[in-house]
Amino acid sequence: MHVRQQSTAHEKKYKWCEWILVITMIVLFMRLFDLQILRGEEMKRLSEQNRVRVKKILAPRGTIFDKTGKILANTRPSFNLYLIPEDIKDFSQTVDGLVQLLGIDREEIIEKLKDARDFPSSFAVKIESDMSMDQVAKAEANKFYLPGVVIQIEPKRNYPYNTMLSHVLGYVSEVGGEELKTAEYKNYSMGDTIGKFGLERMYEKYLRGVDGEKRVEVDASGKEVRVLDTKEPVSGNSLYLNIDMDVQTTVEQALEGKKGGAVIADPRTGGVLALVSHPAFDPNQLTSGSREYWKSIATDPSHPLQNRVTQGRFPPGSTFKPLVALAALEKGAVNENTAFGCGGHFGFGGHVFKCWQKRGHGSVSLHKGIVQSCDVYFYNTGLKTGVDSIHEMAVRIGVTKPTGVDLPGEKSGLVPSTEWKKRTFGEKWYEGETVSVAIGQGAVWLTPIGLMQLASFVGNEGVTFKPRIVNRIVSPEGKVIMKFEPVMGANVKLDKHNITLVKEAMKGVVNEAGGTAYSNARLDNVSISGKTGSAQSGSGGADHAWFIAFAPSDTPSVAMGILVEHGLHGASAAAPIAKAVARTMFKVPDKEIKSAALNAH
Amino acid sequence: MHIDKRRLYHLDWYLILNGLTLLAIGMMNLVSATRSIDSGPYNLLLKQMVALCVGVAILFLILSYDYRLIASYSRHFYWGTLFFVVFVLIIGTIAGGAKRWLTIAGIAFQPSELMKPVMVLMLANMLFQRKKENEPLNMKDILVPLLYIFVPCILILKQPDLGTAVVILLSCFCMLWFVGLTKPTYFFLGFVGVSSVPVLWTFLMKPYQKMRILSLVNPELDPAGYGYHSIQAKIAVGSGGLFGKGYLNGTQHKLHFIPEHHTDFIFTVFGEEWGFIGSIVLFLLFISFIYRCLKISQSTAEPLGSTISFGIASIIFIQFTVNILMAINLAPVVGIPLPFISYGGSSLISSLIGVALLLNVNMRRYMF
Repeated sequence: MHVRQQSTAHEKKYKWCEWILVITMIVLFMRLFDLQILRGEEMKRLSEQNRVRVKKILAPRGTIFDKTGKILANTRPSFNLYLIPEDIKDFSQTVDGLVQLLGIDREEIIEKLKDARDFPSSFAVKIESDMSMDQVAKAEANKFYLPGVVIQIEPKRNYPYNTMLSHVLGYVSEVGGEELKTAEYKNYSMGDTIGKFGLERMYEKYLRGVDGEKRVEVDASGKEVRVLDTKEPVSGNSLYLNIDMDVQTTVEQALEGKKGGAVIADPRTGGVLALVSHPAFDPNQLTSGSREYWKSIATDPSHPLQNRVTQGRFPPGSTFKPLVALAALEKGAVNENTAFGCGGHFGFGGHVFKCWQKRGHGSVSLHKGIVQSCDVYFYNTGLKTGVDSIHEMAVRIGVTKPTGVDLPGEKSGLVPSTEWKKRTFGEKWYEGETVSVAIGQGAVWLTPIGLMQLASFVGNEGVTFKPRIVNRIVSPEGKVIMKFEPVMGANVKLDKHNITLVKEAMKGVVNEAGGTAYSNARLDNVSISGKTGSAQSGSGGADHAWFIAFAPSDTPSVAMGILVEHGLHGASAAAPIAKAVARTMFKVPDKEIKSAALNAH
Repeated sequence: MHIDKRRLYHLDWYLILNGLTLLAIGMMNLVSATRSIDSGPYNLLLKQMVALCVGVAILFLILSYDYRLIASYSRHFYWGTLFFVVFVLIIGTIAGGAKRWLTIAGIAFQPSELMKPVMVLMLANMLFQRKKENEPLNMKDILVPLLYIFVPCILILKQPDLGTAVVILLSCFCMLWFVGLTKPTYFFLGFVGVSSVPVLWTFLMKPYQKMRILSLVNPELDPAGYGYHSIQAKIAVGSGGLFGKGYLNGTQHKLHFIPEHHTDFIFTVFGEEWGFIGSIVLFLLFISFIYRCLKISQSTAEPLGSTISFGIASIIFIQFTVNILMAINLAPVVGIPLPFISYGGSSLISSLIGVALLLNVNMRRYMF
């Protein structure tokens, strides 16, 4: 009886136990069903994310060569320091370690990490670019104490000529957070390098390669366990420029320490042989992302980042006179024999306009007017021609529009008209203003490259080609992807006699005794044609010195636009640069002297 | 050592086969789990094999003596094991911040694991002695047994080894329930249990243990810290999907995303590689094993043997349930191994001792 009681009590307990087993199984089943079946895909994705990290292999940017194959911009390996927020175990240990070890600004690190907070925490944030070997050694030696710190060897843009040609080449730097939001950079991601200026920017899509990818498996501490697969990067395309570093160097040296800009091009093709803007900047330092250097450049009152050749607009002064002369001839306002007397000044509308030659030029016709740059001749001619005809000629030559050079941010020139004044100021044009315009003052603002085109126009007798810096784009395999054929800029039907008159006059400027550039630009072997100019700078200070030229005079193969800011006289400050260029380009004098010397012995 | 041939005939082959299957799965899974461990992939596996051999030897030793004879010496086993537990506290080897191991001649041994079957023997023996016919036990009857339960539990908590202490405590209460207590005694124990929770929380539990419980409620509370294990374990199991990633193809554990993946979190390795179907099969094997243990207890008319069997069944059930619930983030993270599957020599030997006691009871159940 007792035995049975006990066993019934226990039987009940065994039943309980069985139920507990069944319930346990049901709970486990449901949980596993939820985790593995319902949420299996999500968990799979999470586990993939856990272990697989995609590491970018930066593609080297395309190399830039000058016309003779000299390297102007290439890539070299550099050491960059990254932080992976996810792998930082102790924030202050890692960050303070970096601050103490490498002398990086703490605020700067925090700022950079903040910038990247929208990205997954496994995303590497670049903290320091182009570390010195000393820094690399220190960081590597203490790597164990700096979890989350990764040092990557990555290609860095390098400009062997430093400041030379900086405005043409431009520079690269990291794409900014704001830029990333724009459509232009939609295919870029944080930390990518973009061309910020010059050719680097203009030809970004060609120069930029296709970044490779390395999918790596990492363990819980972020350590690379093995590489799953690799997509090799494709190097960017190379640019071969029309730039000739010999010519460029000549101009750079001539403008050394001065402010100004000069552009030398082949008028037969538009190919730009040299383009100098001073003061310049060092693209290597800007590419390194040095904040101090950027600050010093950005706040420099002489605006080193401005490309004076394409973005600087200056009153052209007397270099404008060939254009006025052409307008006058084409309109029939004057002919080659029309002469005006110059007594050193010209009165109009109660104003006295002076000629630069105080004692006057006497009787002046078109040829002499240009050769000796007589202001009074052009006051008269300008008035007879009228501002609208001058404007029309400027439009036909193309100086009022950007020339179309392949550099970003080119500015257009300005040559006023009655319509322009009405539109801009709502006022009528006064004849007195035409007097100023006739000598390239007043509301006339042109860029050095625009004036170079004026020289080309005269030299080519009515034809210009768009200035072009890049000659061809070549793929990493050496295949020419794009070859830039000359593109006509202006093609103006002119009276042959008229253009010849102006062309001859410009030849006279350099080659005739009494010509304004006779003593400063004349070479025995090559006949240079040109026009000097000294323009009131408007901002006070000495006049801007101009010289535009083409050579050889009859069938020019080079055209120049040279400006020396506050250089005072075009003849003395700017013309010698043209002479130096011609000397370099035609290489005659040095050779002849040498061979003559050799023969003597 | 002599075992009567008739006794062998009464061995529970169902239990043996079920247990061997679990052991085989455990070894196979351990191959995968230990492949990435730095001390050499087969080093741990070898140690586990040695432990298995030792365990099987002890199993045969236990089978050769009547369990009643063994139970009569339970007091000696108890004090002997308790001595080692105290000894560990004094000179134990520290691993993972806890003093749990006793290293003798290069062999690390965990006395607290041994306490599990010893406690079952001890308690069954004590209760059986006190039991008067079919009267339920009252407060006075269980006062001394409770003391015997709490002393090792507190010592083990000091190591600290919360998991083992919890297993011992819970299995002892299962046995008390099985033997039967008077209603006031249940109420008293229940009252003490509930009222001690806040005391435990404030005074006894370490901050990391509290964090583990809190992060169970919300693992995203601290995904890089205490919630990390839970989240990673969940991801590992979940990413197995229906069929699993395949044997040796698990990535979570191999890349060290899961700490203790070869011991307490061993199920994450299995779940990741064998998926839903494999896991359910594993669970069914465990449930059937535990069911068989209960059946042995049920079919043994002799109360001491029945109680011992029930105690062992409860130990295996508690360890299995808590371990799996922990791995799939339904229980706080406590160090409880999965019997037969987890790496750990002491745990394996302890489980085999339990199995030996079960078989012993079963083969001698017709003795009277």
